[in-house]
Amino acid sequence: MSSTPASGHPPPRQRSKRALWVWLAFVAVAAAITARSHYVADLSAFLPSAPTAEQAVLLDQVQSGVAARLLLIGIDGGDPAARADASRSLAAAMRASGRFEAVHNGDTAEFQTSGQFLFEHRYLLSPAVDAARFTADGLRAAIDETVALLGTPAGALIKPILLRDPTGETVRMAEAMLPSHAPRSEDGVWVSRSAPRAVLVATTRAAGADLDAQEQALDTIRRAFAPQQANGLRLALSGAPVFGVASRAQIKAEVERLAIAGSVVIVALLLVAFGSLRALGTAVLPVATGVLAGIAAVSLGFGQVHGVTLGFGTTLIGEAVDYAIYYLIQARAGRARRDAMKRDETDAAAAAVPNRAADAVARHGRDDLAAEASRQDGADHWLATSWPTVRLGLLTSLCGFAALVFSGFPGLAQLGVFSIAGLVAAAFGTRYVFPILSPDGAPGIGLRRRLGRFAGAGAALLPRARMPLLVVSIGAVVALWLLPSPWRGDLASLSPVGAAQLKLDAELRADVGASDAGTLVALSAPDEATALAVAERAGARLDALVQAGAIDGYESPARLLPSPATQAARRAVLPDAPTLEARLATATAQGPLAASRLGGFVSDVERARSQPIVDRAALAATPLRQALDALLVPGAGARPWRVFINLQAGAKPIDAAQVRSALVDVPGARVVHIKAELDALYARYLHEAMWQATAGAFAVCLLLALHLRSARRLLQVAEPIAASVVIVLAALAASGAALGILHLVGLLLVVAIGSNYALFFDHLRMTGGADVDTLASLALANLTTVCSFGLLALSSIPALYAIGEVVAPGALLCLVLSAAFIRAGQPPRPHGKMPRPAPAP
Amino acid sequence: MPRQPFPPIERRRLLGRISAFALAGCLGAGAARAADAFDLAALMKLLASVRTGEATFVERREVAVLDRTVMSSGRLSFEAPDTFVRETLKPQRDRMAVTGNTLTLSRGDRTRTMQLDAAPEAAVIVEAIRGTLTGNGGALERAFATTVSGSAERWSLDLVPRDARLRGQVVSVRVSGEQAVVREVVVLLADGDRSVMTIEPLPARAAGARTDPAQPAPRAASGTP
Repeated sequence: MSSTPASGHPPPRQRSKRALWVWLAFVAVAAAITARSHYVADLSAFLPSAPTAEQAVLLDQVQSGVAARLLLIGIDGGDPAARADASRSLAAAMRASGRFEAVHNGDTAEFQTSGQFLFEHRYLLSPAVDAARFTADGLRAAIDETVALLGTPAGALIKPILLRDPTGETVRMAEAMLPSHAPRSEDGVWVSRSAPRAVLVATTRAAGADLDAQEQALDTIRRAFAPQQANGLRLALSGAPVFGVASRAQIKAEVERLAIAGSVVIVALLLVAFGSLRALGTAVLPVATGVLAGIAAVSLGFGQVHGVTLGFGTTLIGEAVDYAIYYLIQARAGRARRDAMKRDETDAAAAAVPNRAADAVARHGRDDLAAEASRQDGADHWLATSWPTVRLGLLTSLCGFAALVFSGFPGLAQLGVFSIAGLVAAAFGTRYVFPILSPDGAPGIGLRRRLGRFAGAGAALLPRARMPLLVVSIGAVVALWLLPSPWRGDLASLSPVGAAQLKLDAELRADVGASDAGTLVALSAPDEATALAVAERAGARLDALVQAGAIDGYESPARLLPSPATQAARRAVLPDAPTLEARLATATAQGPLAASRLGGFVSDVERARSQPIVDRAALAATPLRQALDALLVPGAGARPWRVFINLQAGAKPIDAAQVRSALVDVPGARVVHIKAELDALYARYLHEAMWQATAGAFAVCLLLALHLRSARRLLQVAEPIAASVVIVLAALAASGAALGILHLVGLLLVVAIGSNYALFFDHLRMTGGADVDTLASLALANLTTVCSFGLLALSSIPALYAIGEVVAPGALLCLVLSAAFIRAGQPPRPHGKMPRPAPAP
Repeated sequence: MPRQPFPPIERRRLLGRISAFALAGCLGAGAARAADAFDLAALMKLLASVRTGEATFVERREVAVLDRTVMSSGRLSFEAPDTFVRETLKPQRDRMAVTGNTLTLSRGDRTRTMQLDAAPEAAVIVEAIRGTLTGNGGALERAFATTVSGSAERWSLDLVPRDARLRGQVVSVRVSGEQAVVREVVVLLADGDRSVMTIEPLPARAAGARTDPAQPAPRAASGTP
């Protein structure tokens, strides 16, 4: 039975606390998952997942091959002698530290072990050994060739071994293994050709993905170099490990900075807007729920959470808090309206009291209704009027983010999942938990009055600026038509590595002759012997291309280690001692070298006839193994052995088609031009992303159409969104920015987020009046969104600032244009629908 | 009456003539000495006036470890500013061509290209010969300590590598020639081996060498067949 208490206020309705418990349980589970998630901050988010076999091989090499462990080191400053000394002492320290597989600085002393091994196995490994070599004529020609080298400085190197290797196998092996692009050598160390700099190359022992170990290796180098800095020398480091470690540090620092800055800005805004710590506390709840839900969803779905996702997640703070803002302001306004309405009814009822008896029953009934109505608090009002609009806005945002989930970039897919989970959790947390915690909205007022008045004034003025704004939009369309296409971004633009660092890397690579992401030939085979045999076949075809001048040279593992079949064939043609001696006698008759002095040669050949075949395991003790492993990747189980032959370009760039046609009869040969492949991959993903973005925008339109059920309303709602997208795009194109996938993602987000504002204005128009509270909540929500995306725009990570620089202005424009284009039917009114102003709370 | 040996006027004239001769002699001697101050710059100017040329060579190498001297012969050619080609015809054909920093070695059907500055040991001799033939004083000064002796008629240029490491392999390169023509290159290696290359220039018309029409025709060396 209802009763009218003396105070005139109905008792608060008892809501079921069940939703609160469910929510707490959900938050606890999400927090547990978040605490145990694995966080990474490497560059893997920016590498597309690969669809074709070629690209899979390529990306595997880029991520974990030798290229991922290669360090380029430069020493600047001082004079050449000081630099040379520093190069030698640094190399010695690095070799002693044990963290590096190989350190090259031009010092030939380190090749002693390799040279010894090659010398001892020269009759198996030399490319010149064949049947003709060991005939009398062949021996004579070979000895003459070797002798021709004597008397030149090259002869100084072969003189010690001349009597044991008169046919010059060592020379032939050296010829085959020397790279065609070697750095300049001065004072016994490598120096740059273009700058006063000593250069070194090193390969770390740690795998490319193990950034902690890579960081330790880099620290070792810096510590070893520290004493040299006193001489005015400077160290320059570049290479994949340097980029990886620096990017990780940068991403971590950025995410921390963004999270703190975002939180501080939002908290400040909320305090200013509500002026109450309690309101602030309530407003933080959906944000926390959303962030925890987002991280947990990504962790469950992907197994790890990337730092860039967290960085982007700070924008979720700005969006999730919007739901709290809508609720806290509008629920309070609804409550005030109810109070005012109830007071008027009571007064009106008290004013008309004709027949106490007859009206007692009617009054009772009316009182019941009134009491019932006034017992409905702000929450109910909000749920009835605003929640449908908010829910629709949530759905349009979800459409936008859903398009991201299907992207080929793991980073973007994580963003999509994070945002969807976060927004849903935040919205539903608001809807179910807030009515329990604060049924009447925000207790404080803060600056909301002023914000409301400002928003009201804006909403009144903006429709008058409709024409100029329309002209600006049309101007933007024209500008886009006339300007060249701005969609020029490529994979390099996604990387957080700065331009200065890339320039240093290019310089060091040119100095050292490190073949940079050029063209390579990839082969695969089931085992080591077949892999080397296939490499030999490919090498024979590539030799023809070198002769023709199409390529300058190539690096093949078969040059370091011939296949077992080839070695066995060589071993078979070696003559036995008596035969060899007889042939030698003929060959050296009247020659400069007497056969009697070549006894060592004869016994070495005899020994080689029963030498075991050299395989990859036999090279383990020498630096040759590390050089081989750069070109031959062992297989494991089902994974085949892979051979990578790096091609070196001459004056003109390599024609991949020509190489492909030369290798057409080598089974399984793939010619991969790395940069072209990566660019093509990126272009494909951009193309796909355009389709996904269009599909997302279309889904949003469909959703709006279903809700609005009127083409005219749909057009009105779509107009400000389309205009703001066009204006942002034109502004970016005019500023000369190269747009890529992330800018496209940003435009999609503008559509998704901006539709919220357009829907609200449409709703206000339909319900007959832009009341100031709703406008204030819209303005505040927009401010938090723009601030959080604006913070992204200040980030130094290209992925983040691309999104920030599109969404921040886009969201603001959406609000302004929605206010301008979607005409409010009536001028804005103060609180409540009654002409009498509501009493101050 | 006794005749006076020189009448006063005659004496004065004679004295005048003698002093004139003496003066002329002094001047002449001074001029000769000025002509003798033949330095690197003058030599380079002389050599640079010939922009291109071809020659045959005969090389003898004395190597301790071998039983006898090794002989080879072939052709040389050069073209300013930095091209030098040496083609050995006997006893085995091989070819070495240098342009700028690129060295191309061909033997039989094998060709190898490499950067000259990546192999300083090879670069030493190549730079010595190429620098001299093209008259590139700057390159010679950078790589060697140079000493010029003789005159324009017969000069010799001693080149000692500045780099201590290279001195440990090549002790000196001595280039000698007449006027604008290089006639002999002697390379002395640190382990005592020696290489003597005797060069016989080919006449421009016979060799079919291209000459720069703006430059004066190269002076043929005396004694050219």
